[in-house]
Amino acid sequence: MPSFDTLSAAQIAAGIAAGDFSATEVARAALDAIDARDDGTRAFLQVSEDLALAAAAQTDKAYAAGDTLPPLAGVPVAFKDNMNLLGTRTTCASRMLEPYQSAYTATCVQRLLDAGATPMGKLNMDEFAFGSTTDSSAFHPTNNPWDTARVPGGSSGGSAAAVAAGEVTIALGSDTGGSIRQPASLCGVVGMKPTYGAVSRYGVVAFGSSLDQVGPFGRRVEDVALAMNALTAGGHDRFDSTSQNCEQDYLAHLNDSIEGRAVGVIPALLEAEGLDAEVKAALQQAADRLADAGARIVEVDLPNMANSIAAYYVLAPCEAFSNLARFDGVRYGYQEPDCATLAEQSSLSRAHGFGAEAKRRQMLGAYLLSSGVYDKYYLAAQKVRTLITADYQRAFQQVDAILMPASPTVAWEHGAISDPAALYLADIYTISNNIAGNCGISVPVCLGEQSGLPVGAQLQGPAFADASLLTFARALERACQMEGTVAPSFAGKGGEL
Amino acid sequence: MKKLAEVLRNWEAVIGLEVHTELTMLETKMFCGCRLSHDDEPNANVCPICLGMPGALPVPNEKAIESIVMAGIATNCEVMRQSMFYRKHYFYPDMAKNFQTTQGPVAFVMHGHLDLEVTGNGAKERPDGTIEKAADGSYIAPIRILRIHMEEDAAKMVHVGGAEGRIGGASESLIDYNRCGTPLVELVTEPDLRTPEEARLFMEKLRQTFLTLGISDCSLENGSMRCDGNISLRRRGETAFGTKTEMKNINSFKSLHDALEYEICRQAEVLEEGGIVYQETRHWEPSRRRTVVMRVKETADDYRMYPDPDLAPFDLSDEFIERCRARVPELPDAKRDRYVSAFGLKRADAAQIAGDPKIASFFEEAAAAVKGKVVPTVANVVVNLLPGRSVTAGQAASLATLLAGDAITFAQAREVLDIVEGTEADPEKVVDERGMRQSTDTGALEGIVDEVLGRCTDQVAQYRSGNKKVLGFLVGQCMKASKGTGNPKLFNQLLAQKLED
Repeated sequence: MPSFDTLSAAQIAAGIAAGDFSATEVARAALDAIDARDDGTRAFLQVSEDLALAAAAQTDKAYAAGDTLPPLAGVPVAFKDNMNLLGTRTTCASRMLEPYQSAYTATCVQRLLDAGATPMGKLNMDEFAFGSTTDSSAFHPTNNPWDTARVPGGSSGGSAAAVAAGEVTIALGSDTGGSIRQPASLCGVVGMKPTYGAVSRYGVVAFGSSLDQVGPFGRRVEDVALAMNALTAGGHDRFDSTSQNCEQDYLAHLNDSIEGRAVGVIPALLEAEGLDAEVKAALQQAADRLADAGARIVEVDLPNMANSIAAYYVLAPCEAFSNLARFDGVRYGYQEPDCATLAEQSSLSRAHGFGAEAKRRQMLGAYLLSSGVYDKYYLAAQKVRTLITADYQRAFQQVDAILMPASPTVAWEHGAISDPAALYLADIYTISNNIAGNCGISVPVCLGEQSGLPVGAQLQGPAFADASLLTFARALERACQMEGTVAPSFAGKGGEL
Repeated sequence: MKKLAEVLRNWEAVIGLEVHTELTMLETKMFCGCRLSHDDEPNANVCPICLGMPGALPVPNEKAIESIVMAGIATNCEVMRQSMFYRKHYFYPDMAKNFQTTQGPVAFVMHGHLDLEVTGNGAKERPDGTIEKAADGSYIAPIRILRIHMEEDAAKMVHVGGAEGRIGGASESLIDYNRCGTPLVELVTEPDLRTPEEARLFMEKLRQTFLTLGISDCSLENGSMRCDGNISLRRRGETAFGTKTEMKNINSFKSLHDALEYEICRQAEVLEEGGIVYQETRHWEPSRRRTVVMRVKETADDYRMYPDPDLAPFDLSDEFIERCRARVPELPDAKRDRYVSAFGLKRADAAQIAGDPKIASFFEEAAAAVKGKVVPTVANVVVNLLPGRSVTAGQAASLATLLAGDAITFAQAREVLDIVEGTEADPEKVVDERGMRQSTDTGALEGIVDEVLGRCTDQVAQYRSGNKKVLGFLVGQCMKASKGTGNPKLFNQLLAQKLED
């Protein structure tokens, strides 16, 4: 049989249910693929072989007993390393948490396990999810499977790369300002940021609590929809008071026609400075394909979007400062040895445990929240947030989804952008969605004519219209014929079933 | 130092209280499902949430919010439908997340008041002319409450190796997170209190109210109710506030009174000598009856407060608020008034009983078992005989009936209590079995009275020349002659009658 990377999640589950192969064989194939491919991608921080084989054995036992298998039975999945999974460390790719053993399992992880998935391990990321390259991981960078000299994007770069290279079928990432959609675009996979509250945040190490949302990566919209079913199964999570009941069958309307439905475009965005010609061309192509599929393309405007970066880089650092305050070396994580006082221990543990970007954001947050400054920035940013949310509400009265890039450029070479502000500005297409709490998804459209690198298009939908957003994403996927693509230099490398 | 009375003639003391109360009657912590108990092994009641482990999120305890809304209703506060939790940041290991979840500018309940009845010697602390007083010197002091907000308690730190468990000189600090995340309500008064007695009464009334609501065991001693006093002085007639000091380590009503008394006198001395009162936190040392500086506040702490994004803003429904209102039981003042009007209790007895819900329900149970006219005697028994004893309401009722019928004396009642305490014995039977019942046969008693009057001629003469005190001696003689079976009240009556004739 060919490599498991050619199969969809549903095909793997069906194959196991039909007795074509066992979950253990799939797990071993995935371990084999990781072994063969991860030297190139460096997507994994930990491979949880024991957990994978134990979960697969459980699935095989259920099969042997004649039980009805759950929808993700035996599907190899992996998790961004800010998600707690008992039996693994949860490091957030930081020295601060390098030794930290998960004390419990995050709800999102547990729900995938409950759906029968096989946990392959933990994936690399920008330290504490601060970044868009995965280069700020304290351990090692991750490489883009389409060109290993290039970044996979971030902060969920490990998740995007592992899926793009076919090391796993589905991966979870988290998206605070684009950290799922941007790496998905750069790695040529589907990455969805669900509506804020659709997926429980319990057990996901917080960055910006009002912005963070967990979502799936896959090589097919269908796999992402299947993952959404699992992530929302059981509805509201009583451990996350901001979670909502979004349980439904996200496959039910996946292949519905978009005939007559309205897709918004923002012409000014496509004329913005810094937008690659390849990305612009891909977006034009995506709009054409959606129109071919029967959608009405309607011009809309989000007049306050230009202020979204300023608002985001106030709100997110404030929340990050607060959320990361607990890492002081007292109870867990990195503890500076041989300190004379508590103050010395806390400050040196933080000085040596956090990397540069983590410190930069926390210092920024500490300043922005201080008295006398708070009103000027935090409060002002919250007002901008209200304006942006209202912009979207107006736009979504006219259209069902809005089409825009996920990243202004294709993947760049490691180290090519060193100015943090330049990286912040590249978040322009993604962060307003987090600010408003809406849903968004990045779908591969084509390979750039010049670069040969994948280019994605982003679709955004109103809050709680996740199923409808997936319908548009599926329509775009069908038209673009990128479905199931594994990065060529990794496809079929190991992982035979 | 000058005495309080002298100081308060020239200076007005401006006192505000901050009272923290742990909601000890709840089963679980504020934001997680951990058991609420401080008596267990250290760090037995902890979970990823109250330990602030990475990725953990808070979920508010609905019962705690019910409790604070009830506390607000009971203290005449306005229930603020819309409020939020905030994060208050400070780095210290007693707060696992390095921020405390508390409330911001809007608390769950705000703008209430408690009216204090200040009577007796305590009322004398307030100089005449500074408030309208009744003929007996008592007065009503209305004390406004700024707010009551909800927050979580910190862990308990134990400093080992230093003096008196203080951090200075300690070699190790141990942390018990059992207390971390305990639901805590903080009440802040307006600076309306003017004397140590008013402050003491406020705390007492607040404690009675919270006990009646059943939201906390309100133990000052064990720290489930903690009080900080803010105090400043200003010359009588001035309106601007002076510099305040904050008093900590107040673990009894007496400490609160005495610490404030000391601090008022200390500040007056400093000011009268031309000195400056520094804004500082002072520690009350009960053994040495003085306050000492804990720390000087040079700059305001910057806690970087901001709305907690993990906890959605509240919008309390009418239904929720009405449910809380319905759960507020009869409060001490109303109960006291009812006892006075329905049972004819003395106001002081009624207030004392109504102030403690356990005593009140015991009293009501005993009162229900006796005839209406005996109820004041039940109150008398409850207030004067029972403190520190463990008897059933039935026993108390029986005892009160005996006393009201003059079948035993107060002194005998104590004897009976010694016998029945801790048993199921009926006081009435005990009295009969032991022949303690006093004779109320006037004929028999009259004989004894005549005999005593016949032989104590000196005392009779003294009485008739105006020394009425000898009546007590004569009653004693009658009691002796009756071998204790005569009723002293009747002897008293008979003697007085015959002596006046």
